[in-house]
Amino acid sequence: MNLSARMIVVLTTVGLISGSLMAVVGMLTKDRIALNRQQEIEAAILEVVPGTDTSEELFAEKNFTIYGGKNRDGNLIGYAVYTSGTGFQDIISLMFGTDPNITKINSLSILEQKETPGLGAKITDKELFLKFWDNKNTGSALSLRKPAVRSQDELAANEVNTITGATISSDKVLSIVNQSLEKLKQIKQAGKLISEDNDAE
Amino acid sequence: MPSKSAGAEYIKGLWEENPVFRQLLGMCPTLAVTNAVINGIAMGLATSFVLILSSVVVSSIKKLIPSQVRIASYIVIIATFVTIADRFMAAFFPPISKSLGPYIPLIVVNCIILGRQEAFSSKNSVGRSLVDALGMSTGFILALLVLSSIREILGMGTFLGHQVMGAWFKPWIIMILPAGAFITLGILLAVALVIESKTKKRKT
Repeated sequence: MNLSARMIVVLTTVGLISGSLMAVVGMLTKDRIALNRQQEIEAAILEVVPGTDTSEELFAEKNFTIYGGKNRDGNLIGYAVYTSGTGFQDIISLMFGTDPNITKINSLSILEQKETPGLGAKITDKELFLKFWDNKNTGSALSLRKPAVRSQDELAANEVNTITGATISSDKVLSIVNQSLEKLKQIKQAGKLISEDNDAE
Repeated sequence: MPSKSAGAEYIKGLWEENPVFRQLLGMCPTLAVTNAVINGIAMGLATSFVLILSSVVVSSIKKLIPSQVRIASYIVIIATFVTIADRFMAAFFPPISKSLGPYIPLIVVNCIILGRQEAFSSKNSVGRSLVDALGMSTGFILALLVLSSIREILGMGTFLGHQVMGAWFKPWIIMILPAGAFITLGILLAVALVIESKTKKRKT
């Protein structure tokens, strides 16, 4: 066999074998990877809408999904909004939960972020940041308390705490949540949150 | 090439030809993912998996591959194992896969792997290539372990997530940022050079 024929044969064979191997591995792991993602979202819903027994997707568009959480009796106990937006460095993906009437935020959970370690990355810290989001009133847009305070009591009903040294990251999270809250209210008002079968009956 | 015993072939990867401290290969993952020990270990293991399997495959088919297309073939073989490692981690260790992000697919361009195929596996028997790959992998894992331990302990006061420093300790945030990676690696390389020059002097 001359050289060019040999090169073609070798490269084709190597490519074919590699391709088939990757296809097999892809097929074997595909379901498991989808399941992991599903579990991750379900765990986050349970965290932001406590007491959820089953959850279902009520509304979905790019980077914005609303889940409805139902308790064991099938009553809607809250909405969980899964969304993402620009942070200080990269995209921040987060989920927050509200009560069925969207009057308050249950809690906030950060699912993905690449903020500066030690500074902006503190947005994932329960004690320093996230706990200040619990039970916030959503009647008006939330605002940021600057400079940071130490306890919940010092914050107004629609105020959340800043992270000292990471004002931009705190602010980005705030604007993602505020925008999503606005959107959630609009969608609910427009009656697009389908499959609320308990309300309809 | 002077032939060494299998043991010597393994040992050389640990110190004498350590991929990180002596050959300065694979700097990208070395610097990027060593901000926590668990990430360092995971990256070390994933790279080892790819290196060992690629070395075995390349050394066993080295006579079939025309030298003009050898690099292309090696890259395809390496990419296959990297994809397998990537999918496997995403399926079974999702948190680690998430924190390593794009650095798992980037093992494809890790110079340690292609370097060993070109410098060793394409010229040596399957057995010797396996031992060489095992040695290099151990050397790489050890280097990542040292680097990530220093960075995690100083940068977060923890080791594998467990608090090891007392409450008095204020974490040096710089250590888990990129600058900390360069500083730590620089100091470790200097130490490695000093040790190397001392041992050489003793020998001569």
